[in-house]
Amino acid sequence: MSSPLTLAPAPPSEAAEEVRAQVREFLAGELAAGSFTTHVDTWLSGVDPAFSRKLGERGWLGMTWPKQYGGHERSAMERYAVTEELLAAGAPVAAHWIADRQSGPNLLRYGTEAQRQAILPRIAAGECYFVIGMSEPDSGSDLASIRTRAARNGDGDWVVNGAKVWTSNAHHSHYAITLVRTGPPGEGPRGKHQGLTQLLVDLSLPGISINPIRILDGGHHFNEVVFDDAVVPGDMLLGEEGAGWHQVTAELAFERSGPERFLSTYPLLAEFGRRACDTGDGAQLAALGRLSARLLALRQLSLRIAAALDRGELPDIPAALVKDVGTTFEADVVDEVRRVVDVTPSLDSPDPLGRALAEAQLHAPGYTLRGGTNEILRGIVARGLGLR
Amino acid sequence: MASDQDLVIETVRDILSAHEPFALTADTAWDAGLWADLAEAGLTGVGLPEEAGGSGGELADAVAVVRTLAAGAGAVPVAEQLLAAGPALLAADLDLPDPAQPLTLAVAGAVHAEPSDDGDGPGRWTLTGTATDVAWAGVARHVVVLAQPPEGIEGAVLALVDAEGLATSDARNLAGEPRGSLVLGGAPASGALLTPAYAGEVRARYALARAVQLAAALEQVLAWTVQYAGERHQFGRPLGRFQAVQMELAEMAGEVSAVTALVDAAVQALERGEDVVLPAAAAKVRAGAAVEVVARLAHQVHGAIGFTQEHKLHHLTRRLWSWRDEAGSELTWSQVLGVGLLAEGGDGLWPALTRVV
Repeated sequence: MSSPLTLAPAPPSEAAEEVRAQVREFLAGELAAGSFTTHVDTWLSGVDPAFSRKLGERGWLGMTWPKQYGGHERSAMERYAVTEELLAAGAPVAAHWIADRQSGPNLLRYGTEAQRQAILPRIAAGECYFVIGMSEPDSGSDLASIRTRAARNGDGDWVVNGAKVWTSNAHHSHYAITLVRTGPPGEGPRGKHQGLTQLLVDLSLPGISINPIRILDGGHHFNEVVFDDAVVPGDMLLGEEGAGWHQVTAELAFERSGPERFLSTYPLLAEFGRRACDTGDGAQLAALGRLSARLLALRQLSLRIAAALDRGELPDIPAALVKDVGTTFEADVVDEVRRVVDVTPSLDSPDPLGRALAEAQLHAPGYTLRGGTNEILRGIVARGLGLR
Repeated sequence: MASDQDLVIETVRDILSAHEPFALTADTAWDAGLWADLAEAGLTGVGLPEEAGGSGGELADAVAVVRTLAAGAGAVPVAEQLLAAGPALLAADLDLPDPAQPLTLAVAGAVHAEPSDDGDGPGRWTLTGTATDVAWAGVARHVVVLAQPPEGIEGAVLALVDAEGLATSDARNLAGEPRGSLVLGGAPASGALLTPAYAGEVRARYALARAVQLAAALEQVLAWTVQYAGERHQFGRPLGRFQAVQMELAEMAGEVSAVTALVDAAVQALERGEDVVLPAAAAKVRAGAAVEVVARLAHQVHGAIGFTQEHKLHHLTRRLWSWRDEAGSELTWSQVLGVGLLAEGGDGLWPALTRVV
């Protein structure tokens, strides 16, 4: 059973259960105090810098990073427990989510000492937010076909031109780790992976404009970020010039494996659980059982990845698999629930289940697209099966 | 599972390979020769303590034996004996029959137990009624029956009966495995009264045994299908080179990985001595859900040849279609899980989910 698709079971972690209890208590207090209300998919839509700072104060951001960069040197299993509790409560975590999940680890891996010292402590404090600068108007799944270019000027700075899209919460963020073409592609089918570079771009620089792109429910989370001769200081190169593809691939292992890939619609499932408890209806209880069994399996898969990260591995193929299975589940919750409950989805519904259903439905197309479409992910899994 | 089980897996594979694979036919109810070799090697007592007459070893060893036989479609009652009936007897302080004789478990139907005073000391019962859907009925020499207790008493009676001479019906599951009824007309049995909670544990262990078999068979079906997609050429290239087929195989792999992760976790919960009802329910339901996808796509990728008796695929897909609703149907265990997760009320779902495994 040692294929690239399978990982060893995660050992139980007492430390993770301890911090889980602390987060749960904190969240109960915040909910009681009205500091936030539960919503679906809040790691995209729930921007609340004050809440992010509270998490930072409690040591729940940058958890696995070295203390010298504001981190807390805790395990990926402990971080898993924290993120899972936040998502299950539908807490407003979007402001810091990307920075804490992947930009910080990316900086730790590839950043210069100066970059790390300047930025990581601010991320860990819940004060500094990042967007992912990968997709473009003409480059979605075919990421290596991006056309945003950067060229050195006479001062050694980077002059960037192009546009990035689906940049979640760019209008609230400070930096974008931006994938740009800095050199020509090489020969052969994988040649276009060459000549790509990651830049650490301060979004307040002149020459950068941020335009909203509204999603189905009217929410403003996505943006188009346009670079028009934006001059990025030369020392904001991230990692190695020309190694952008390799760095992006490593980043995606963090991006694809976490509990946000199966808990985006958990607040809907929670509301459904309350309904099934009230009615005692056999079909509802069975549906709750079926959905819960799927969720429990996903937790085990995701925990195995957290344990692999703790072992220093970078399990990109299992991560793709988890994201495929997990995001399919997120969308299926909507249909499984509406098949067994007499409810009409509406954002204005007096019934909390009707509201949660509406939120989950209107966000549903995104689950299986963001972070790599499920078709791309299955291609990666097929590679793990030795088929390509 | 861990590499500690490599030796036992290898031993079972060696024995399997010395036998004609896929032994079940309309005329053969089980693979008596395979059983004899397994028994001879002590593999029908793995995980059962030596002082009780077993071969010793860990639960993980027993699981490895069951997994390997399930993947090889071995037509022997090993899952019942090692993971369900045997441990149930031991936990109830009842004597284990000789592990060389096949033992099974009966949890369905209407069987009543009355205490009998047959002069053979305490713990003697008389069983009356019909046990239904009994795995390996007619094959197993002894049957552990979960019977209804005398009126006014809660829980269940776990009783061991000698099946020799008992009337058995000839029903089979979709794969041809015996699943008949057992008519008990005042059969004498040794037994013990169980609390309702412990009776639930016995049922859950049986469901987990099936989940372990399902996981192993699902993995094997995936492996066969990946292999076939690499060998079968159409339009001048292997099927596995077609993106449409790759998507199907990747979907199967996702299902199989999810099942394996949850079944492993449920087995570990059992190893740690935790309450296994909800872990087993979840494992069984998840494995059953994967059968829908994996069996359908496996047949789709194999094409018409996989739909024939001559190809091996059906030996596992027919088992998958049966096993998912055995030892308690998928509907039953879904409801057990749903109800169990809400035991502390509608707001208790998330804490319950994080406690199951």
